[in-house]
Amino acid sequence: MTLNLNEADLVAVSVGGIIAHPSFPGLPAEPYRLAADGTPFLLPTWGGIVYNVSVGDRAFGWAADCIHPGVSLRGADDGRNRGLNVFACVGNTAVVMTGQAQGAKGVVTGKSGRFSEQVIVHFPKDVRRKMAAGDQIVVKSYGTGLAIEGHEEVNCKGLSPDLLKALPHRIDGGVLKFGVVATVPAFLVGAGAGLTSEGGSLHMQSTDRAALKEAGLDQLRLGDLVAIENTDSRYNHGYLRGAMSIGVVGQTDGPRAGYGPGITVIMTAPKGQLGAYTDSTANIASLLKLEA
Amino acid sequence: MSFDLGGLTSNSDALVAMAVSGYVSSPSLRPGHYTHYPDGKGVILPGMFGVTYNASVGDRAFGWAGDHVEPGVSIAHPDEKSDMALHYLSCVGNEATVMSGLAKGAKGVVTGEHARLLVAFPDEVNELLNIGDHIQIEALGRGIALNEFPQIEFKKTSPTLLRSLGLTRAGNGALKVPVAIELPIEIMGSGAEINSEYVDQDLMSGDRALMADLGIDQMRLGDIIAIRHADHHFGRSYREGAISIAICIHGDSIMTGHGPGIMTLMTCHEGGIEFEIDPAANIANYFRIGAGK
Repeated sequence: MTLNLNEADLVAVSVGGIIAHPSFPGLPAEPYRLAADGTPFLLPTWGGIVYNVSVGDRAFGWAADCIHPGVSLRGADDGRNRGLNVFACVGNTAVVMTGQAQGAKGVVTGKSGRFSEQVIVHFPKDVRRKMAAGDQIVVKSYGTGLAIEGHEEVNCKGLSPDLLKALPHRIDGGVLKFGVVATVPAFLVGAGAGLTSEGGSLHMQSTDRAALKEAGLDQLRLGDLVAIENTDSRYNHGYLRGAMSIGVVGQTDGPRAGYGPGITVIMTAPKGQLGAYTDSTANIASLLKLEA
Repeated sequence: MSFDLGGLTSNSDALVAMAVSGYVSSPSLRPGHYTHYPDGKGVILPGMFGVTYNASVGDRAFGWAGDHVEPGVSIAHPDEKSDMALHYLSCVGNEATVMSGLAKGAKGVVTGEHARLLVAFPDEVNELLNIGDHIQIEALGRGIALNEFPQIEFKKTSPTLLRSLGLTRAGNGALKVPVAIELPIEIMGSGAEINSEYVDQDLMSGDRALMADLGIDQMRLGDIIAIRHADHHFGRSYREGAISIAICIHGDSIMTGHGPGIMTLMTCHEGGIEFEIDPAANIANYFRIGAGK
């Protein structure tokens, strides 16, 4: 059934940034991070233009730390970056304003949180070949304030009407339920707990591979819809029995403690007003018809 | 103060004592910056920074009209790198000395580490402290280990604290630690994003009914606590079978994903640590300070 949205009342505003260059700490040249077992590692990490990882690809198994698929954006300063990170909604259109890919269009697919704070945008691979770090990109932000008629207890966060309308859903006993590939149990919630739920992401724990497998999370793909049990994301992310959050897998797994794949949370409700059912095909690459 | 290591031996002869220092901090607020309840209601509450005159280790962690209440005196160093040394080298139980001002020469004890370092002084010393007064700490404890349990990693544990914890050997050979409260892993929240050498991780107290059901709302500042399946070696991972022992360093919070601050003291992958519930397992009792005086 069709959901009635307050789309006509939403305000569309430009937010922008540049393609962020990857970065590492400076001298004395200690580039290593520590894996959860203490092993120092040096691997590609977030930011930049990523040529061979896209939404729809696997979230695990890359020789990398929390890679953002496609292209990562950052605002000019902390204030404007916050504006970009909060207002950009998953499913919004991004347009390249400068450089050799000028005019090309992409789609916002996720956001990253504390210590990276970038917006993740999908562009077709041939467009990525023309891009350069520093190219300016404008996102037509549209979705903040989104509400679903009759389901006002479901809070939408960074969610575009385009994506909401494309999500598999049903109403079951008055509860709005969405199709998800898997559900993250509360004990596997990692980095992002207690941090802002307006922008950023909530990572799953991935150190204990057996627990990850048992929860059915080890085969997740970038772009998969997932539910997070007993998690209230109205104002920060936190534990609450009966609450549920739903999000999109935005970035890959990494070796650090607390930093499994990141989830860009797009919906939450505190007390059973939001539900989920299994749909192994629920991935934004197909739902938003992202061009490879 | 007890000085019994339960027949165990430590490497305390190998530890290096070094001075680090900070200055009595002052609360700071951003204009229009509310703290929000889970339902969005915004409030402004005291708790962090400065000298907290009426909340000490041994006092309750819940129920204050405050947020992240830091017991006693919160100190920091204005130079970031020096401040990180203050954070990384200071250990719970280290001796602090007032170096300037009206309370010059007074002695206190390090009780934990939040965004600032937390020190307990007697009430009469708190009355004399000025913002900016220089506090020096004899930092001792980094690198501490029990010779019989090399698989257990200690963090921010001074030799004084190690001797005070009431450590014994369990029947199965593991190290047995008295703790006031056990926390379930699924409520461990804010702080998961940072490494486990720096400050604490809040327990998530937003499910108030759960706090009451499990008795967690009876937690006191300075309580020694245990968490199963928590691996705190390099950050904070879920790892089945691991156990971490920690200390409650600050009070509850109204913010979603926050709550009393839990700072790691010991962590072990599997089998090395056991714990038993003892409501008296609190540094206020161990050091006879604050509410335990």
